[in-house]
Amino acid sequence: MISRRTLLRGAGAGALMVAVPIPALAVEGLVPNVFVRLDDAGRITATVPKPDSGQGVRTVVALMVAEELAVEVGDVTLEQAPGDSAKYGSQSVSNSTSVRQLSTPIRTAAATARCLLVTAAAQRWRVPVSECTAKDGAVRHPRRGRLPYRALVRAAAALDPATVPVTLIPQDQWRLLGKTRAGRVDARTISTGRVKYGIDSRPAGGLVAVVARPPWIGAVPDTIDDSATRAIPGVVDVITLAAPADGQGGVAVLARSTYQALKARDTLKITWRGGTPAADSRAWLADLHAALPAQSPITGLQRTFEMPLLAHAPMEPMNATAHVRPDGATIWVPTQDPGRIQTLVAQQLGLPATAVRVEAAASGGAFGRRIETDQVQEAVACSRRVGVPVQVLWTRADDMRHDSYRPMSVHRLTAEIGQDGLPVRRAHEVVTWPLTVLPIFSNPALIKASGDHFPYAVPGEVTVTVRPAPLRTGFWRSVYSGQFAYAEENFLSEIGRRAGLDQVALRRTLLPATSRLRNVLDTVADRAGWSRPPAPGTARGVACLEEYGSAIAVIAVADPAARRVLRVHAAVDVGVALHPSGVRAQVEGCVSDALSTVLGAQITVRDGHVAESSFGDFTWARIDQSPDVDVTIVPSDAPLGGLGELAYPPAAAAISAALAGDTPVTGMPIGTDVG
Amino acid sequence: MARYLLRVNGERHEVDVEADTPLLWVLRDELGLTGVKYGCGVGLCGACTSHVDGQAARPCVRTAADSARARITTIEGLSRDGDHPVQRAWRELDVAQCGYCQPGQMMAAAALLARDPDPDDEAISEALRDNVCRCGTYPRIRAAVRRAARIMREER
Ligand code: FES
Ligand code: FES
Repeated sequence: MISRRTLLRGAGAGALMVAVPIPALAVEGLVPNVFVRLDDAGRITATVPKPDSGQGVRTVVALMVAEELAVEVGDVTLEQAPGDSAKYGSQSVSNSTSVRQLSTPIRTAAATARCLLVTAAAQRWRVPVSECTAKDGAVRHPRRGRLPYRALVRAAAALDPATVPVTLIPQDQWRLLGKTRAGRVDARTISTGRVKYGIDSRPAGGLVAVVARPPWIGAVPDTIDDSATRAIPGVVDVITLAAPADGQGGVAVLARSTYQALKARDTLKITWRGGTPAADSRAWLADLHAALPAQSPITGLQRTFEMPLLAHAPMEPMNATAHVRPDGATIWVPTQDPGRIQTLVAQQLGLPATAVRVEAAASGGAFGRRIETDQVQEAVACSRRVGVPVQVLWTRADDMRHDSYRPMSVHRLTAEIGQDGLPVRRAHEVVTWPLTVLPIFSNPALIKASGDHFPYAVPGEVTVTVRPAPLRTGFWRSVYSGQFAYAEENFLSEIGRRAGLDQVALRRTLLPATSRLRNVLDTVADRAGWSRPPAPGTARGVACLEEYGSAIAVIAVADPAARRVLRVHAAVDVGVALHPSGVRAQVEGCVSDALSTVLGAQITVRDGHVAESSFGDFTWARIDQSPDVDVTIVPSDAPLGGLGELAYPPAAAAISAALAGDTPVTGMPIGTDVG
Repeated sequence: MARYLLRVNGERHEVDVEADTPLLWVLRDELGLTGVKYGCGVGLCGACTSHVDGQAARPCVRTAADSARARITTIEGLSRDGDHPVQRAWRELDVAQCGYCQPGQMMAAAALLARDPDPDDEAISEALRDNVCRCGTYPRIRAAVRRAARIMREER
């Protein structure tokens, strides 16, 4: 049965609209979140409240609505919701929560529509509701025949929803959810190049802005000579952006076309002051080491791990388009949080939120970077000045050098080893930086909560020392878990190797017999043929993680001499896998991130600035390095779990352990200096 | 500024741009062919991959002037109905995540299959090595290229 708060209302000429409050949202009274709509012709439209940056939330919404309304996925038209937190609650795509937060309200909304349509049909036929079923866009009765939804919309909209019991389609009757055949709903537009990403959303007549950005961290413009720049054909204006109100700061060149703006930027003569022109990431690493406590809480086997800076580098570089008018604004932006952007732009312009329309464009990847708003502030500042739409476009180098990076960290792990070679006590001392994009993430307890998911039965303590961040830091896939679990699993592998223990057996011993983790570990060991010795010249690594309400175990097989990962096996327990192809895709994506960062992609800082500028030096994995990935989704009766970030930490740990063979892993990337 | 006659997706277009303007920005800004993606602008990521005279090429590192007499095909012109075997295979195997790199990946794959109807893993790696997928769809791309090759052979 469905909560009484389920809201139904007729909209316009007898259309049926169903809205359910998102449970996470504490709003006064009842704010209609309109998720599902049937018009007079019976056409079904579903609203997707959260943006899709490749994680597949649009597909899952379409599957849920089609399932509950007993139609095919192709019968559901999707509308991407604009930014409007008052209406939709949190629209943030973060912490692998999108599907978890949306599944109940969206399924309930669609199920409510179905139950109302069925009730309307039963009333018309004067038969009990229990004799009627919904199938293929119509309500059927064994003797009365069928009534298509379009013939029932008006009658259903007139019913009082409080009088109609609502039931969800039970899992064992699903036709679409949980089935392997379903692909991404946007597959056709993607395969024909017709998706409009943020970068493709500049309205006709809009300008392009490219920003001269600080040449070293924290620099601000001192003198600006833009006389040559303004003389270039196509250049419309040159605007100084002041951090933090206008984003990260710099000097924007506005021109009629992208190439004019890019070329004109090079003609600016700017002197800069302030900041840290001598900053060097090797010195930062030394500072983190120096901040380790003088003594570890225990003595025993000890290993220190170094973790590098990482950039998000989404395939679509940062961009935002704004059209600021005296009485309102429209923003087009690939974002992980359109609702937050609406609030922020309204504040920046001193307008009511309702005057700001935020179109959540498709994102060419996000990975945590698009939870931020700096690029939007830049676009708003530019358009506010010139009064026409302005798209701020970041070049790849801008994107890589002015990111919010995953923090560096140093981890000192100590273990007391028992008679049998197993660890009996552990200590994990972490020194790292906060996340500057969200100030509460300077709290060591919060960093620990994000990073510490050690699942094994070894008592001990984790301590976090926080040093000031010398550059912008932010949320990167898996956040601190990526560093913590990497160090812990690699250390456990070293403990096992020293004692001559089998890595899977070691972990099994330390996991409760009936745990989800032990179940996925057994499954993956089976899939990987763990009981047979590895082929000559190959080595294997294993790692586990339980986080986001899900559990995963990963086994990587590598050829260490060739520095090549051959295969990665993963077994996941995500509770209910609503879209199995999407579940596999997220694991495959995490494996690629793991491979890239273990093999060499890292950000370094020299002479005050990020040294890397593109995919030539931020060496992201390519197809020829990419292993086959075998993902097993284990049956589970656990509640729906999160997934988008789950596989990165254990995949990185397993891959590094396999590649290192008999050499202990001491950081990321392997075989290269960190920093 | 100068005028150039470009042959793109079977149509002739006259554009008025500076001679050194990269073909990428001509296609995107002047002709509205936004399926040609900007990923790096310096030939390092493959997001813009299109065909020039049937070969995979990078519009971000060629100028409009260089391209004047060439036959250019972008993802929008790969097939009339979106049903090139590569596009079908990509959908069948649910390759895309964010999708941003995929026009470039598909154009590189189509150029490969036009000259090698039965590429092995080595040949696929060779042809697609310079196309970055930040989302990590490589295993599916590899499978989809093989699938597209099979579709093409079956339909020949
Ligand atoms: S945009 Fe052309 S190769 Fe990257
Ligand atoms: S699918 Fe996102 S970059 Fe390839």
